[in-house]
Amino acid sequence: MLSLICKRILMAIPVLLIVASITFLLVRVVPGGPFDADKNLPPEIVANLNAKYHLDKPVAEQYVLYIARLARGDLGVSYKYVNRTVNDILRDAFPVSLQLGSISLILAVLVGVPLGAVAGISRGGKGDTLAMFLSTFGISVPGFVIGASLIFIFGIVLKVLPVALWESPWHMVLPAVTLAFSPAAYLARLTRASVLEIVDKDWVRTARSKGLSQQNTVIKHILRNSLVPVVTVLGPLTAILITGSFVVEYIYAIPGMGRFFITAVNNRDYDLILGTTLVFAVLLIIANTMVDISYQILDPRMRVED
Amino acid sequence: MSRHLFVTLVTAFMSALLVSGCSSGKPKFEPGVLRVNLGTEPPGLDWHTATDFTSFDVVSNVMIGLTAYTNDLKCAPSCAESWDVLDGGKRYVFHIRKNILWSDGKPLTARDFEFAWRRLLTAATAGQYPFFLYDIVGAKEFNAYTADQVKAKSKPGSVLIGAAPELGFKAVDDYTFEVKLNKPAAYFIYLTAFCPTFPMRQDVVEKWGDRWTEPENIVTNGPYKLTHWQHEYKMELAANEKFYAGPPKVKTIKMFMVPEQSTAYALYENNELDYIDNRSLATPDIERLKHSPEYSNFPLLRSNYLGFNCKKPPFTDARVRRAVAMAIDKRIFPKILGRNERPAGSWIPEKLAGYSPANTMPFDPPGARKLLAEAGYPDGKGLPPIEVLYPNRDDVTLTVEAVQDELKRNLNMPIHLENTEWKVYLARVKKDPPTLFRSNWGADYPDPETFMNLFTSYNGNNNTKWSDPKYDAIIAAAEGEQDPTKRAVLYSQADHLLCIEQAPIVPAFMATQNIMVKPWVKGIAKNPLDLQFFRDVSVGEPSNVINGEDVH
Repeated sequence: MLSLICKRILMAIPVLLIVASITFLLVRVVPGGPFDADKNLPPEIVANLNAKYHLDKPVAEQYVLYIARLARGDLGVSYKYVNRTVNDILRDAFPVSLQLGSISLILAVLVGVPLGAVAGISRGGKGDTLAMFLSTFGISVPGFVIGASLIFIFGIVLKVLPVALWESPWHMVLPAVTLAFSPAAYLARLTRASVLEIVDKDWVRTARSKGLSQQNTVIKHILRNSLVPVVTVLGPLTAILITGSFVVEYIYAIPGMGRFFITAVNNRDYDLILGTTLVFAVLLIIANTMVDISYQILDPRMRVED
Repeated sequence: MSRHLFVTLVTAFMSALLVSGCSSGKPKFEPGVLRVNLGTEPPGLDWHTATDFTSFDVVSNVMIGLTAYTNDLKCAPSCAESWDVLDGGKRYVFHIRKNILWSDGKPLTARDFEFAWRRLLTAATAGQYPFFLYDIVGAKEFNAYTADQVKAKSKPGSVLIGAAPELGFKAVDDYTFEVKLNKPAAYFIYLTAFCPTFPMRQDVVEKWGDRWTEPENIVTNGPYKLTHWQHEYKMELAANEKFYAGPPKVKTIKMFMVPEQSTAYALYENNELDYIDNRSLATPDIERLKHSPEYSNFPLLRSNYLGFNCKKPPFTDARVRRAVAMAIDKRIFPKILGRNERPAGSWIPEKLAGYSPANTMPFDPPGARKLLAEAGYPDGKGLPPIEVLYPNRDDVTLTVEAVQDELKRNLNMPIHLENTEWKVYLARVKKDPPTLFRSNWGADYPDPETFMNLFTSYNGNNNTKWSDPKYDAIIAAAEGEQDPTKRAVLYSQADHLLCIEQAPIVPAFMATQNIMVKPWVKGIAKNPLDLQFFRDVSVGEPSNVINGEDVH
C-alpha cells in the first residue's frame, strides 16, 4: 500500500504540471483580458497594469515565471480582488466548501446507498418503484430548482430554517440537502444496478441456503460486493463536492470556493483560474488514491503485491 | 437501527427545527443596526485601485474627501471647509478643517492628500483612475515617468535618466492644499469628491503593504470604520466615534454579499435585510412590488445608447444614422425591461446642466423613411448587412431585439444579431466596433462633461469612430468656461450636434435604481450617482415612515 501511495505522489507531479500548462495556455488563448471593462482605460494605464502583473512580458516568459512561483507554492495574485493572493482567497474559501461538501457527501452516501440497496433487493416491488422515482427526480431536477423550492418551503412558508447565509449550523441544513440531492440520487441508481448484478450470484444463493439471515446476507455478501463501483465514483464525487458548487453557494450566499470556478473565468482572473483548477486536480488525485486503497480493503483480489 | 430509535431521532430533529426556527418570535430589526446587501465581494478597498460601485459603496461610508457629493448633485465642503478658485480657474486652494481625525486618532493634514495623489499617479500602484488627475500640472508626465521607472526596474542593466517631473499640487502647510491645473477645468471640483482622490495615510500604507485595507490595519476618516471583513460573505462597519461631524446614528452596518437576487429578496422579506436595491430585486419581483409602500424608484446618471460605427457603411452617412434615431420608439424600453427605465431623448441627462428637451430626436417613422430614401436606400433597399454585436445578458438581449424589431418594422432595415460572452464582446468592440452596438455610460461625477467628453475624437471610449472638430472645440470651450450659464449653453449646443444633427449615437434610456426600505429605516437617500451614503440613516421604531422618509 505504501508503494501505491509513493507511486501516486510521483505520478501527481507530471499530472499537475500538465494541468497547469494546459490551463495556462487556454486562459491566454481566450479573447478578452482581466482589465477589459465597460470603460476603456487610457493605453498608458493599461500598460501600467500589465507591467504590474507581468502581462507585458512574452507568454513564454510569463509561463516560466508562473511555474517557478508554483514550485514555491505561490499560486499568484488575483487581478480582480486587488491586494489578495490566490493563496489567501483559497485559504478563506476552501474550508467553507470542505465543510459543506463533507456534510453533503455523508448525506448523499447515507441516503443514496441504502435507497439503492433497498431498490435492488426488492426489484419490481413498491420499494424499488419509490426509490427509483426519488432518484430519477433527484437526477433530473436541477440544483437551483431544488434550492429555490427548499428556501420557499422551509425558509419562507414554514419559517423553520434560515433562507440563506452562513451564520450557524442551522444555516448548513438547506444547502447541504440541496448539494446532496443529485449525488444521492446518482449513488442510489448505481447501488441498485450493482446490487442487481450481485443478488443472483452463486455465493449469495449459498449464503441463503446455509441459513444466513436476510440482514447478514445483504450486509456481508450483497452490499459489500456491490460497493466497488460505488466507491469508484466516490473519488471524483468527493473532489467535486468539497471544492464547492457554484449554484448552491450562489443561491445560499455561502463564501465557498465553488463560485470561483465560474467567476474567475468570467473575470479572466488568470491566476485564480489556475489556482482553482490545480486545487481541484490535487483533490481529485488524493480522492482517487483513497479509492484505490479502499478497493484493497473491500476486495482482497484487488490487492497489489508490493 | 431499531424502528423506535429512528422515530425518536426524526421527531427530535423536527422539534429542534421548529424551536430553532421560531422566526416569528425574532425581532424584526436590531435597533441601531442596518443590514444591507452589497451583492458581491468588493474587489478591493484601496481607493486608488478600486474601480467598481461595490467597493465605492463601502469606501464612501468609511472615507471623506476634500468635498462631498450631495444627493442633489452639488459639491459640498467636506475635509475642505472652503476653497478658492484662482487664476481664472487654473489654481485651487483648499482650506482643510483642523478638527478631522483619522480613526486611529491622528489629525488629518494636507500632507495626507499630497501623499495620496502622488501615489495615485505612481504607475507601480497600478490604479485605473490616475487620468482623473491629468488636468493637474505635471500629472500625466509624472505618471509616464513612473511607468518608465517600472519598466527600467524589470530590465536588468537599464537605467532611467532624468528627474521626476514636478507635480502641480502640494501641501502649503498642514491645513492648506494647493492644486495648479494646465487649463481651467470647471468640472475639476467634482473630482475632489470622487473616491480615488480621497486622502491616504502614508505610514499605514507603507507599514502594511498590500494588506493595509484589512480591518485590523486600515485607518480611515469617514463616519464609519471597517471592523470586520469575511471575504465573499460579510463586512461590518461601526460608527466612528471620532468623526468630525459627530458619530452617525446607526452604530453598526452589516453588509452582506448575497449574489442571487431572489435569495436577497427572500432575506428582506424575512426581515434579515433592512434595505435592498437593484442588486437584490429581480425584474419580475419589481413588477409585483411596485405598489408596495416600501418600494421606490429613481433615475440614475447612467445612460444606455446605441452607437454607430461611423466608418462603416451605411452609417458613414449622417442621414442614415438620423433615420435610425427617428425610427425607434424609445417608450418600448421600460415596457420590455420592466425596471421603470426612463426613455432618453438627449445625451445629457435631465438633472445636469445643458439638458434641453429640444435635443430629443422625435419618433417619426415617415420622416425616417424619407431620410433613408434620400440617402439612397428607399424602403431599405440596397442596405449593406448590418450586424449588432452584444453581450449575452438578458437586459441587453431584450434591448437589441426591440431595436431589431423597430428598425425592421419602421425602416425595413434588416439587422443581424450576434451575441457573445462579456469579455469577448469587450475585446471585439475595442478592436473593431461592429456596425451597430449597444453600450452604456455611467457618470463618474455629476457634471455634463463626464457624458459629453465621451464622444470627442480623442476619447478612448468613443467606439463610434465619429470625429467632428466643431464638437471637440465646443467641449474644449465648455471645459474652460467658468460662467455656469455660458457653460450650460455650450454643452447644449454640443448635445444638439450629437443627438440631432450628426447622430453618431441614439440615446435609448436612463437606468434606474429600484429600492425597498423597511419602515423602521429612516434617511435612505436617493443618489443619482448610485452611491450610498449611510451617514444620515437611522434604524428604530417605525413611526410615520414611508420609503425611509418621514411623511410629516
